[in-house]
Amino acid sequence: MNIRFKPKVFSSLLCLALCFTLHAFGQSDPRGERRVTGTYAIVNATVITAPGKTLEGATILVKNGLVENVGKNISLPPEAQVIKGDSLFIYPGFIDGASSIGISKPADPERPANFDPSNPPDELAGITPWRNALDYYDKNNNQITDWRKVGFTIAQIVPEGGMLPGKSAIVTYGGKESTNILANNTALNARFRNVGGGRGMYPGTQLGIMAKFRDLYKNAELSAKHNRLFASTSGLTRPEINKTLEAFFPVLDKNMPILFEVSNDLETKRAASLQRELGFPLVLAGVSDINYSIDAIKTSNAQVLIGFRLPNDKTANADLEGKTDEMRGRTIRIKEAYQEILEGPAQLEKAGIPFGFTSMGGRSSEMFKNIRLMIENGLSEEAALAALTINNANILGIQKFAGTLEKGKLANMVISTAPIFSEDAQIQHVMADGYLFDYDISKKSKSNGANGKTIDITGIWDYTSDTPAGSSNGTMEIKKEGDSLRGTITYDNPAGSGKASSEMNNITLSGNNLSFTFNVSAGGMSLEVTVAGDVSELDFRGNMSLSDFGSFPLNANKKPNQRNQ
Amino acid sequence: MKKINLILICFLILGGMIANAQTPKGSLLIKNATVLTVTNGTLEETDVLVENGIIKKIGKNLNAANVEVIDATGKYLMPGIIDAHSHVALDAVNEATAPITSEVKMADVVNPYDIGLYRALAGGVTISHAMHGSANAIGGQNITLKHRYGSYNPEDLYMKEAPRTIKFALGENPTRVHGRGNGIQPRTRMGVDAVIRNGFNEALQYKKAWADYEAASKQRGANPVPPKYDSRLETLVDILDGNIIIHCHSYRADEIYALINTCREFGIDNIVFSHVNEGFKVAPELAQYTMGASVFADWWAYKFEVYYSTAYNAAILMENGVITSINSDSGELIRHLYHEAGKAQRYGELDDEQTLALITINPAKQLGIADKVGSIEEGKQADLVIFEGHPLSVYAIPQMTFVDGVKYFDINEDPDDMRLKVSASEALEPIFLKEHEHRCMHGVDFFFTNFGRSLFNHSH
Repeated sequence: MNIRFKPKVFSSLLCLALCFTLHAFGQSDPRGERRVTGTYAIVNATVITAPGKTLEGATILVKNGLVENVGKNISLPPEAQVIKGDSLFIYPGFIDGASSIGISKPADPERPANFDPSNPPDELAGITPWRNALDYYDKNNNQITDWRKVGFTIAQIVPEGGMLPGKSAIVTYGGKESTNILANNTALNARFRNVGGGRGMYPGTQLGIMAKFRDLYKNAELSAKHNRLFASTSGLTRPEINKTLEAFFPVLDKNMPILFEVSNDLETKRAASLQRELGFPLVLAGVSDINYSIDAIKTSNAQVLIGFRLPNDKTANADLEGKTDEMRGRTIRIKEAYQEILEGPAQLEKAGIPFGFTSMGGRSSEMFKNIRLMIENGLSEEAALAALTINNANILGIQKFAGTLEKGKLANMVISTAPIFSEDAQIQHVMADGYLFDYDISKKSKSNGANGKTIDITGIWDYTSDTPAGSSNGTMEIKKEGDSLRGTITYDNPAGSGKASSEMNNITLSGNNLSFTFNVSAGGMSLEVTVAGDVSELDFRGNMSLSDFGSFPLNANKKPNQRNQ
Repeated sequence: MKKINLILICFLILGGMIANAQTPKGSLLIKNATVLTVTNGTLEETDVLVENGIIKKIGKNLNAANVEVIDATGKYLMPGIIDAHSHVALDAVNEATAPITSEVKMADVVNPYDIGLYRALAGGVTISHAMHGSANAIGGQNITLKHRYGSYNPEDLYMKEAPRTIKFALGENPTRVHGRGNGIQPRTRMGVDAVIRNGFNEALQYKKAWADYEAASKQRGANPVPPKYDSRLETLVDILDGNIIIHCHSYRADEIYALINTCREFGIDNIVFSHVNEGFKVAPELAQYTMGASVFADWWAYKFEVYYSTAYNAAILMENGVITSINSDSGELIRHLYHEAGKAQRYGELDDEQTLALITINPAKQLGIADKVGSIEEGKQADLVIFEGHPLSVYAIPQMTFVDGVKYFDINEDPDDMRLKVSASEALEPIFLKEHEHRCMHGVDFFFTNFGRSLFNHSH
């Protein structure tokens, strides 16, 4: 087979090489930004080509964004930049099954003067399946950097919006020169919550959303039928072209799955029952309560994406002895519920359901910690790696060119200093789309309390935070009172103009890791905001997350005149 | 003819068994109980044999091998209590965004983890009618639930053999939500009637459009264009065709009588009125034209339209031949519907059998399931409650509750914590002090500004 196809491979490579050459000489590069070479060789490394398949002392040769070769005794071309891989571990680049990173929310359209909340236009009602995630995607969003840093090289991006927000696309986290688009229109997205949280517009609740979904689906079938009839028969009334219904057509033909975002097992069961009624291919994103969901997943033949977010262990420090029988019983049940969540992924593996990970609802800084917890609770390392690589490639239908490290696949890989799920693993390089990204691995070991000194974070800090609504800023004032840290944070007043301030709660400093929470009251609700990240004496780089709204970068610097107060 | 009937029955039984293949069925023998059959008087020191979820035999000195035997000497056995108006085990109650939402299905949002199901079982309730709220003139399709508490699968709670039902609502709630809240029809009681009437008329047009299409499709070589699908109108067509029972939230006699007339105009017989505080004024009409009234024992004066009320309502209705039931509309009242029924006896001097019918066979009739449940008869489903003390005594305490012959509650095996699913992230779960309030207007609070909230600070 190889022999037969070699001329073809050669000619396409030649063609690619020519293109590259043309590009290289086609324009000047006054800022010197262009990389010297696109050919890399990582030699003498431990290469995990796919979950469970390891090559020791192997070399990977990458050229023009493709894995040119993997194995031993590979001759290296002179233009190759050689990276010594001794003691390094190379994994296929991670694939994010569903991501909202870099996605902004479309602006709400104006309500018309004669607005009827019982029958709103689709666009107002959160029914925008014709929208395309790419139109709302910023490939330069700085969160992408964070996710690439933990190993992600490809992501399926899903649009923001209401019950039918639009269609997904697949992107790579590669270099700046490319559009980084791998595929478009990869799934039709759906969810059980609508714009405005049920406020005064149809469909407002899960009751309405399920009914509306059925109606749209059945009318899409009828509309497709009308189109076919009209194309083949004369003398028929013309079909009314409706972009909402048209967006369903590839789903009706089973060429596109519906990606249903679910937040608990009852939503999983609701999506599964719609699937059984209507028969569309289904991907469930954000599956949780796994013990309670397995039957529904099996009967609907759904593909499964789970988040890696885990709840905090609320009873870790609970004093069982000092409690009444009733409270002890309740505490034990919370412990069991927590344990059940930790064991969920292992249960899926045991049930023989392949699953992938989605970043939705998770934080990049917690990913490895949480996956390690899942592994400690029964998930195999192979399954964990598969959930980051090959399973997601299969679910997204890109397994032909992604998901493993093999000759001819896209050059996406994660290069780590130790087995990837071990405690002391640090990611030294990530290669995405043939572009190499280097990471400083000295920092972590230094700040791991090696010098044993506690970082002094007291003082006044200026912070900025990037949210989809724009950049915002404020100050944090941290003081030491006895052994504990106290603080206040200011932010743009959500209820009007000017600044509001809140007490900072649960300020925890462990090593170089700082976290705290604060409460913002907006529209009669109290939202808890969690901030966590890496801190030094002078600067803080982290994320703030608002319960369900996502996670956004928050960086801060200590005011110079406030230092060492 | 008899043979055909027999074959038919065999098929029906077989079909029924297949439909319920997944839910558990139990067998047991209850000995020496005072059996309150409801439809056939009180049988002293009587045994009831249950096989595979069905009451097989009622009599003296019954024996059975290999089944659990329960000694009920000195105790009372009554049919499982049925609540014809409930919102227990629902994740959402009101799709309050349109005056007609007949397309929505409460079956879609059943939450099998609701501890309210277990509390209901502890009060002897084996079936509840999980209803849409009262925000809309025509609300959603309800679901009749059997309290098979313990399953993670919402579908295991559905009483699949129960006919379809739908919620309607008259008066202050729909006019407040849509008229005053959103500035659309209906703003008055006339508007509510117009919304319902228009809905039915549109449904007739819809039915015709599809009938024309189906007829045209049968012509050879024809390629008719399919009409638009509309499950809202499709459901209204099913009501007009007699396939769905209406359960209508209502208080005032005038609006009840007006809807009776509208239904008669459209040939609809399958209607039950719920709450019906002024039902006593239109009792003969309710008896003649409807499937009855489902009322509160003594709950009123929580808003203007419910001031003209009486604790004699249930008795007056019943004595006038109205099929009458007493419902809870509440996760709290549902636990002691036998007390609520007892109040009707206290005021209206109904006899024991009439009073028990208020919470057993009569709600079963209103839900279209009286041939299967609601009384202790051979061949019926074994939904049973054992009481210490007569259930209409204030000292009555339910001891054991069975659904399909399976024991779901036993006062002697009743651990503190019966939750099926516990949150790992909320160490202390919220407690709602106002949980006992009616949930008919659940979820529509946000429609009201300060004006609405202070003027109507209640939720039913």
